[in-house]
Amino acid sequence: MSAATFPHRVCPATGRVIASAAEPLIKVNAVVAVVSLLIGAVAALLLVLTRWQAVHLLPAEWYYRILGVHGMNMLIFFIIYFEMAVLWFAGTILLNSRPANPKLGWFSFALMIIGTGLVQWAQWAGKADVLFTSYPPLKAHPLFYLGIILFAVGALTVTGLFFASLVIAKREKTYEGSVPLVVYGAVTAAIIAVITLLHGAIIYIPTFLWSVGLIKSVDPQVYRLIWWGLGHSSQQINVAAMVAVWYMLSALTIGGVVLNEKVSRSAFVLYVLFISMASAHHLLVDPGFGPAWKIVNTSYFMYMAVLASMIHGFTVPAGMELGMRLRGFTDGLFGWLRRAPWGDPGFSALVFSVVVFGFVGGITGVTIGTEQINIIAHNTMRIPGHFHATVVSGTAMAFMGATYYLLPLVFQRKVAFWGLAKAQPYLFAIGMLLLSMGMTFAGSFGVPRRHWDISFSQALFDVQFNPAVDITLAVMGIGGILAVIGALSFIAIAVKSVFFGEKITTWETGKPILGIPQGLTNPPVHAPNVDEINDALHADSRGIAGATPGTLVLVGVFLLAFVVYYFTNWKLLSFLWKVG
Amino acid sequence: MVDSPPRDAPDSPPFMQRMFDNVFLLLVLGIVVMLVVYTGWGMWEVLTMPAGTLP
Repeated sequence: MSAATFPHRVCPATGRVIASAAEPLIKVNAVVAVVSLLIGAVAALLLVLTRWQAVHLLPAEWYYRILGVHGMNMLIFFIIYFEMAVLWFAGTILLNSRPANPKLGWFSFALMIIGTGLVQWAQWAGKADVLFTSYPPLKAHPLFYLGIILFAVGALTVTGLFFASLVIAKREKTYEGSVPLVVYGAVTAAIIAVITLLHGAIIYIPTFLWSVGLIKSVDPQVYRLIWWGLGHSSQQINVAAMVAVWYMLSALTIGGVVLNEKVSRSAFVLYVLFISMASAHHLLVDPGFGPAWKIVNTSYFMYMAVLASMIHGFTVPAGMELGMRLRGFTDGLFGWLRRAPWGDPGFSALVFSVVVFGFVGGITGVTIGTEQINIIAHNTMRIPGHFHATVVSGTAMAFMGATYYLLPLVFQRKVAFWGLAKAQPYLFAIGMLLLSMGMTFAGSFGVPRRHWDISFSQALFDVQFNPAVDITLAVMGIGGILAVIGALSFIAIAVKSVFFGEKITTWETGKPILGIPQGLTNPPVHAPNVDEINDALHADSRGIAGATPGTLVLVGVFLLAFVVYYFTNWKLLSFLWKVG
Repeated sequence: MVDSPPRDAPDSPPFMQRMFDNVFLLLVLGIVVMLVVYTGWGMWEVLTMPAGTLP
């Protein structure tokens, strides 16, 4: 029996209190996120079939229009609506608490919807062919900027309500001590969201006034500086939310443990302090900023956030390994990994998210974010190759994995098309990996990003790329098609489950049930001799291998790949540097 | 009225934990660091740049 004094229900699987006022807010934000994902995925298919030079589907005008639609729907709407759902979830359900001012929450959601509608109208009607970045002097219809401002105000208000919900939970003592680590990750995401949205307000309000003729101009260099405080930092909200989801899925799917609360929380604090400065990566070839500003922002301070990601990149898999070993899967270096539930879409999505984010997104990001190396990567396809590995393979993949658990827990529905759901993370991950690698290698041969026709067929000058580019672009195209099929499969599963799925309010544990992830039907528990296992794992005789030797090997492989890729890029740079 | 325990009482959380738990302190620090190191310094660089002259 719950002691909560507000309208609620109790989750049959986790025992958590689910406030009646929070549940619909989580649902509507998640549903709109999926709708945005659908629009973005259709746009992605059109784009990939245009950049694949052998197909070259869209005419120039529509290529640039759809590129803007894809950027807004994927990088802003899908991700931020889902993060709003995460904030409502973390601020209430994970704290067994109630939301602060749900009426204001609905008003904020309405603002976000109106803003989304205005932006969609402007882009599809051809009134805002200014791409995602909307750099002046390119000018869009005023309603485009107004739409973004309304969306940002709504999102900022929800972030404020999240902080208010934390205060309520603390005051009403719905939890003891520090907030759980997953909530701490959501707090980190919320703080970065405030930084992000403040920059959005600072730059979009004058740009809106410029678009209606009330001010004469917007300085392009100032715009680029402030806009990237929004454009890149918004993707750092994703990183923090994604890592929070990693910890959650690790615990839910295989009983992953937190190795050390202090270490993981310190890493989140490093994100709060330093990760937003990664925005400067986009300005590394801008003449308006000196080398000191560039290097301090992208190297000295930013590397503190890279350190944080590397900490999470160790603690999450190590927590998974230790959790599995404490459940009795102790054989060999990787027995814990072999015996893991690879048929659980929540688990497979978690693993792919961690691996591709780290090995592809992380390594390429740090490398091309180095000031000197950036000159050979800037505005090439290496940049989208990098961020598709982080934002899509990392964040979107993690959010998809979380959805497979939220469907039964929050929506109280079985996961529809269960067989497809089990395969979906594999399809999406393989497709995105091919897409990212294809883009990255095409960019390494100098293929520009955001370019309709790299054959320069109507240009006055002739530019020839290495013929290998045709292969890398084909890899990108095939990967993109696979990834879009994976994304559309996820959307079909989510829509069928939410609107037409089998209702389920309670279920028996201990036996598999089609449509419910195994972490809920067979919750992970420690082995009967867990104390004995724990003592053996932490014995001095294990030496440097410690309790998680498998993860140590994996991070060793990661560091080796990092070193090889990083120094290979310095070698590539040296080929171009003809002075001396 | 019950007195709150002294801040250095043995059962009170360590200083760093209290600091990390202070969400609003982190919020302020996050905003200030970004506004000073990235935004403020960047604006200063742009606004103090001499205007270019046409030949």
